[in-house]
Amino acid sequence: RYFFALASCRLTPPHRRLCTGDGGPAGLADAQTVFALSSGYGRCGVAVIRVSGPASMTALRSMAGLKHRLPPPRTALLRSITDPRTEEVLDRGLVLWFPGPHSFTGEDSAEFHVHGGPAVIAAVLQALGSVPGMRPAEAGEFTRRAFQAGKLGLTEVEGLGDLIHAETEAQRRQALRQMSGELGRLYQDWSRKLKRCLAHVEAFIDFSEDELIEDGVLNQVDTSVLNLQTEIERHLKDERRGERLRSGVQVVIAGATNAGKSSLLNTLCQRPAAIVSPIAGTTRDVVETALDVGGFPILLSDTAGLRDSPDLVEREGVRRARERVEQADLTLVVVDGSHLPPDDGEAAVFLQDHLSGVLPTQDQCLLVLNKVDLLTEETKQKLEADLSRVPGLPPLCFISCHTNEGLQHFLTELHNRVKTLCGDPLSGAPTLTQARHRAHLQQCVAALAQYQRYRDADLALAAEGVRLALTGLGRITGRVGAEEILDIIFKDFCIGK
Amino acid sequence: MLTKKIVPLQSFLSVVSRRAGHLAGRHYDVIVVGGGHAGTEAAAAAARVGAETLLVTQKIHTIGVLSCNPSLGGVGKGQLVKEVDALDGLCGRAGDWAGIYFSILNRRKGPAVWGPRAQLDRQRYREFIQSELLCTPRLTVLEGAVEELMVTDANPQEPGRHRVTGIRLANDSDPILASSVVLTTGTFLSGSLFMGRTTSPGGRIGDAPSSAGISNTLRDRLGLRMGRLKTGTPPRILKDSVDFSLAKFQPPDSIPSPFSFLNTHVRCKPEEQQSCYLTYTTPGVERVVRETLHLNCHVQQDTKGPRYCPSIESRVLRFPGRSHQVWLEPEGVNSDLLYPQGLTMTMPPEMQLRLIREIPPFHRAEIHTPGYGVHYDYVCPTQLSPALQVKSAQGLFLAGQINGTTGYEEAAAQGVWAGANAARSALSMPPVTLSRTESYIGVLIDDLVTRGVTEPYRMFTSRAEFRTSLRPDNADLRLTLKGFEEVGCVSSFRYQETVRVRDSLQEALTALQSLTMSPPAWRKKLPDIRMIVRYFVCLFFSGMEVLQYQDVSFEMLESVFPECLSPYKEFSQRLKIEAVYRPHCELQKRDIERIQREENMSLPQDIDYFSLPVSLSVEVRQILDRVRPSTLGAATRLPGVTPAAIVHLLNYVWHKGQKEKRAHKRQLHQKEDREEELSARNAS
Repeated sequence: RYFFALASCRLTPPHRRLCTGDGGPAGLADAQTVFALSSGYGRCGVAVIRVSGPASMTALRSMAGLKHRLPPPRTALLRSITDPRTEEVLDRGLVLWFPGPHSFTGEDSAEFHVHGGPAVIAAVLQALGSVPGMRPAEAGEFTRRAFQAGKLGLTEVEGLGDLIHAETEAQRRQALRQMSGELGRLYQDWSRKLKRCLAHVEAFIDFSEDELIEDGVLNQVDTSVLNLQTEIERHLKDERRGERLRSGVQVVIAGATNAGKSSLLNTLCQRPAAIVSPIAGTTRDVVETALDVGGFPILLSDTAGLRDSPDLVEREGVRRARERVEQADLTLVVVDGSHLPPDDGEAAVFLQDHLSGVLPTQDQCLLVLNKVDLLTEETKQKLEADLSRVPGLPPLCFISCHTNEGLQHFLTELHNRVKTLCGDPLSGAPTLTQARHRAHLQQCVAALAQYQRYRDADLALAAEGVRLALTGLGRITGRVGAEEILDIIFKDFCIGK
Repeated sequence: MLTKKIVPLQSFLSVVSRRAGHLAGRHYDVIVVGGGHAGTEAAAAAARVGAETLLVTQKIHTIGVLSCNPSLGGVGKGQLVKEVDALDGLCGRAGDWAGIYFSILNRRKGPAVWGPRAQLDRQRYREFIQSELLCTPRLTVLEGAVEELMVTDANPQEPGRHRVTGIRLANDSDPILASSVVLTTGTFLSGSLFMGRTTSPGGRIGDAPSSAGISNTLRDRLGLRMGRLKTGTPPRILKDSVDFSLAKFQPPDSIPSPFSFLNTHVRCKPEEQQSCYLTYTTPGVERVVRETLHLNCHVQQDTKGPRYCPSIESRVLRFPGRSHQVWLEPEGVNSDLLYPQGLTMTMPPEMQLRLIREIPPFHRAEIHTPGYGVHYDYVCPTQLSPALQVKSAQGLFLAGQINGTTGYEEAAAQGVWAGANAARSALSMPPVTLSRTESYIGVLIDDLVTRGVTEPYRMFTSRAEFRTSLRPDNADLRLTLKGFEEVGCVSSFRYQETVRVRDSLQEALTALQSLTMSPPAWRKKLPDIRMIVRYFVCLFFSGMEVLQYQDVSFEMLESVFPECLSPYKEFSQRLKIEAVYRPHCELQKRDIERIQREENMSLPQDIDYFSLPVSLSVEVRQILDRVRPSTLGAATRLPGVTPAAIVHLLNYVWHKGQKEKRAHKRQLHQKEDREEELSARNAS
């Protein structure tokens, strides 16, 4: 073994890692290279995965079988794409190599054009994550890198803020959806435990010389850190433990009671998925159906009608409805068209009021006026003409779930909206989020190992490990500041000067 | 520096004038108000930078007094002392001169969090500071009470902008003029003292508070937001009346480590160090506190006091049923007093006696001076720039407790920086700032000016994100060079010394890197070391990597390679620390660079955030308008400012930069054209 090692050393001499004690902080090595799915998902034949940063070449060579030759710059090559760990062929696709500075980000970049199926994309993203020095990109990171390298023109820079806003907003919704589930609770729990660990180590460092902070505190931290480490490792190994992430554009039907929300759901999925009755408040829970609209996957949810109700069950239903609206990519607000005030000016005001009662923000919504079969043709045309002139109202659709009138127009409108939403790679691709979570959790585990390595030799470096672990987890659950740690310290210990 | 003769106090008093008559109408570059830790450092730093400086204080003989505990340094605070020393400040050298008990706290927890600490002789500390000020060229000390701080009316072109013009002393009609004024009023700004149910105006027992004139100018003329904080001090106990056999002896370090980078040893001989003792409170203490609560108005007030330096009353009320530590600390070589750290109390004097007698070693103790509490005004520090200048008043600088901090070391750190910047401002040089990525002083100032305070602010190592890079051992490399090259507050003697240290360390590290051997060869040389070899990671170990092992010391390597390494023997400890921490610091470098890049993008102070033509939400505009962060980096640390808002600001700064660059280029072109024209004319 030793001989073999020696021989391989001769072949690649200067590339050695710094070795601290028994291994050094190698697991936390520089993670400057980022990757992300940059095409949309859903009905797409080809998915584009982009890599940017110094390790791009390593990734390209190890995954596209280019170990012994350099790929020509800016030329498409048809290659088998393999997982560098298992050598298993994942897909056959095009790879492109853009040496910096002549690339979008100004850094060395590469692109993988693979088949658009979710399984292939997930496999390639996972394989990329296993290349040393690679991590999934944060929201807007490619654009930000391009900006920093001076690669964006003036007009592009102006749009940058809005772009990042849109991306972080999509990610926030995505995070909200996932954090409300079992997985979210798990991460929050880890974060809480880690915060406590860090607070106790920090208390021991900053106060134990003058204060009554027993050595036992540190022993508790040891146990906690070890438990957390095994728990996160087990979580990373066991894929089934994670909640299955729902995929597709999240479309939520919301509105007042008896507006015909459940009828709309049934009409759209062409089967009686939800119970429909003339009694207000029939739907109490969220009814979910997966649908395909013009080739794009959507997850349609019908919710309870929004009203104040003394009934406990219904009140819970309304709470859930509001939660869903908060997390939705697109909201269909259904209004009973026959209940609109007859006066044209008042109808617009009524609709505005109604919308602000249903939605927190109005940027992603369609207004659906149901039951138009109950209106006379004359009133309907007058309404249509009046309301199209009102600025600030979202797009309107007049339909009747009863006679299917206007349904075609509505479906076209829905199709267009869903298409735009799917073009945004961040709005619902769970594979990407999963890959990001994995990367952060791996970072967290490596950092906890650092704690154990330095626990007895150097507590400052051990504490650094817990800090890094919390930073890693904080990328999923939200940032933790120094003040928060100090608050825990002062709550748990009697500290004097 | 230790060999310097201390000038006797009497001659000091005779040199500086007690009467201000002949100074009236004179113009100074910098006036420093207050002679505490912040004031003395500020005055000395301003003079070092080259400003004609005047230090005004109520009583000359209280310059450099330790008002509360007779100690310097500690965990987090020791780092500050080291940094002040690296900027050529006074307190490190004064500590080495006056220390009578030295210990490095956290010795077993890693060099990044070592806390150098010393018990001081009050008399010696004061003497050193006073004689040091006396020997500082360009510095005059004046005894007097400041009656008024003078500022101009707001500039009509720039609404809300004032300029400081000088001060007026009590009983003196003519003002003393100055370009910059540094206020270091400590607990004296509208200070009031509490003991039992009695309240009296004052900043320290026996000293009057500063005049209402200063408060009025700050509050009414400048419209600064102010708040109120409280602190306290324990009773002093007669040493003879204490039964030390009932307390636990705490030995000092056998070899004292000096604070100052200029000193290789301290004044006090190792065997002449004094003793400290440790004891605990009893249930009786809690009983007395509860019984006297109605007689104690300091505790009942809801003014914020420090969470980490609480009075014994608030300790037992918050954590009942526990025993709390009390440290018995010497006050000086010749002092017959004892400082009971942990027993800050504000109850009536007779109750204080009752309370301390509940603690075993004090069962017959006598009190020399009772403990008391202080309430004082502070200025919300978010109104300051990172140079510690009040944003709305050109030339007015604040340092120390007036900014809401607590502790000698925090005050001294701000003092050096405010003093240096006040001098630079007076001499028309641009302000200098310290980043939180390079120093604890930077962390302190950044926390103050961007986050503000809700309770007295004390330094902890956990506040510094880059703690493993900001160590006490490398403060000189981090700050002395910058202090000389960019700030001008460091003497060339110290600078040259630091350059020598830096170069030697660099050479030594290179030498260590170049000494490579295979693991078996190392094992032969160092048979006692258990080396774990991962065959796929390391095939040859350099001296640097071997030094990273816990049990390997530089001396061991030096005995193996005496010819290469013996010249660097004096740095053995620093090299060991450097070897262990270097890989971690390398990892932090990327984050540090990102923060520094953001901090290099400055946001103009006169931006009207409400009319800025970029898309920002009203909430974000309000936050930015209130805090007025001076850099993009500071803005990102503000709670409530979104990433999108940062990008918009970035865009704005970038545009502005481009515009300025274009304007600059145009000017250059014009200049060139003119020069060409001139040369053409000359030629003809």
